[in-house]
Amino acid sequence: MSTEQKRGVRARESTLVARDLRKSYGEFHAVRGVDFEVYRGECFGFLGPNGAGKTSTMKMIYGAAVPTGGHLKVAGLDVTRHERDVKRRIGVVPQENNLDDDLEVKENLLVYGRYFDLPKKVILRRAEELLDFVQLTDKADAQVEQLSGGMKRRLLIARALINDPEIVVLDEPTTGLDPQARHLVWERLRELAKEGKTLILTTHYMEEAAQLCDRLVIMEGGRIVSQGSPGQLIDEHVSPQVLEFRSRDGSLEKLWALVEADADAVERSGEVLLAYTSDADELLEKVRASGIEVENTVYRQAGLEDVFLRLTGRSLIN
Amino acid sequence: MNAPLRLPSPRGTFRVWQRNMTIFRKYWKTIMFPNFVEPLLYLAALGLGLGAFIQEGGINGGTYVQYIAPGLLASNAMFAASFESTFNTFVKLKIDRIYDAIVTTPVNAEDVVAGEYLWAGTRAALYGTGFLGVLAVLGFTFSPEAPLISSPWALLIPPMLLLIGVMFSVMGTLFTSLIQRIDLYAYYFTLVVTPLFLFSGIFFPVENFPAPVPQIAWFTPLYHAVNVCRELATGPSPIVLVDIAWILAFTLILALLPIRFMRRRLIS
Repeated sequence: MSTEQKRGVRARESTLVARDLRKSYGEFHAVRGVDFEVYRGECFGFLGPNGAGKTSTMKMIYGAAVPTGGHLKVAGLDVTRHERDVKRRIGVVPQENNLDDDLEVKENLLVYGRYFDLPKKVILRRAEELLDFVQLTDKADAQVEQLSGGMKRRLLIARALINDPEIVVLDEPTTGLDPQARHLVWERLRELAKEGKTLILTTHYMEEAAQLCDRLVIMEGGRIVSQGSPGQLIDEHVSPQVLEFRSRDGSLEKLWALVEADADAVERSGEVLLAYTSDADELLEKVRASGIEVENTVYRQAGLEDVFLRLTGRSLIN
Repeated sequence: MNAPLRLPSPRGTFRVWQRNMTIFRKYWKTIMFPNFVEPLLYLAALGLGLGAFIQEGGINGGTYVQYIAPGLLASNAMFAASFESTFNTFVKLKIDRIYDAIVTTPVNAEDVVAGEYLWAGTRAALYGTGFLGVLAVLGFTFSPEAPLISSPWALLIPPMLLLIGVMFSVMGTLFTSLIQRIDLYAYYFTLVVTPLFLFSGIFFPVENFPAPVPQIAWFTPLYHAVNVCRELATGPSPIVLVDIAWILAFTLILALLPIRFMRRRLIS
């Protein structure tokens, strides 16, 4: 049984509601009216390329940006009217490291805990538990500058949890990390989801969204272009099988004309032609029979990257 | 621009002050030393060196060292608070991004600014108190007939240095809230801090200058800070209340501007 089904059994209570949410910076409209709802205890993702409006949306959730229009309720509270109360209930992992370099690793948690007016005893206990949780106990007295990128990100996650938040907001939690560090972060985030925390994250990695998110929205140009579970999005927008043809310039055009007739959809991304179909064998047979020169053919299952390419006409990876 | 005016909360202000204090307690010896030595250098070079040439009659019937020592207390507070609210605040704002992290907690942008005001004032008072102690001891040891600090009212100097520090922090933070590049502080120090230091009655009385010099001086902050320190060091006359009122009014009126500008920089 997938996590999605397990959670579906529980009553779906919204903890975050956005209605026609907008954010403009002067003439630039970063978020152009988005609607979404996040249920308690789920992991909700914002997928999209840089400049899609993901970070602006996150900033409005955690109070670093004031909405230009629309409504946004976080943990049941209006963000503009209950700024402090909203911030008291959420934890924030920012995109860029802003740890306090003048403080040691553990001190970062202690000082941060004071901003929430937590009793000293509680802060001390939690700081130790959280250092253990993010596997930094042996670095407790180290200077922040001495930590690797992955360690800093884990410390940011620990810091975001010091107030035992209902909702944890993570803006690109693994951008810039090496694969091992990324997997370690994912594992910790899954652990948090298991504990029942609501996670809201942005990413431009399809794999991350597929691995972590129960539901997600795809953003492009300040708008939500689609939303659903990763499985739903794939079912809805693309055929299950993909054939990738790599070929020389001239023949790619000919190939397009050929596969277009039989495939459900055809996309081109650079020197690669992607054919979406429910019967890859038949299509491949046809291409071979045509005699068109193909350098390289890859068969695979459709994924979120394909959904993105389908919806926006461009690849997330470039 | 029409956003409602937000006033800092005492709780959030304290948390920001407390963060700075935590760091200060770790490094205070290295941080304090230069600020502590600098006024002693002025005292030696100008008070004893230059003072030897103007010993005849002195100023206001005292020696030249006696004249400049209390003024240096005030300028020391100005320098301490000015560095704190310019370079230090800029680094926390734009380089280390400390404030970005703080404003995602229940501590708001306006609390950050007020906490920094209070911290700069605290730092000014801490330095000044140490310096005041040194002046008192030096004076009584080397020239008991002409002590540098001669009135018990001097005990009120530390809290006044706190207020003076807050005042200069408000000015420095205002400048910080308006600039994007750290190099621009050269303008602030050359065009604001240094002229104040030279023409606020620390080294010579500005009252004897022809108009409008004394009138201009009256409208500048360090002039009143120097008056307060000198009065308290030697036994105040009621006129000192005017200087204190001036400092309070100037600080309160100006304090809201950086809060507004900094909020706009931290919250988009």
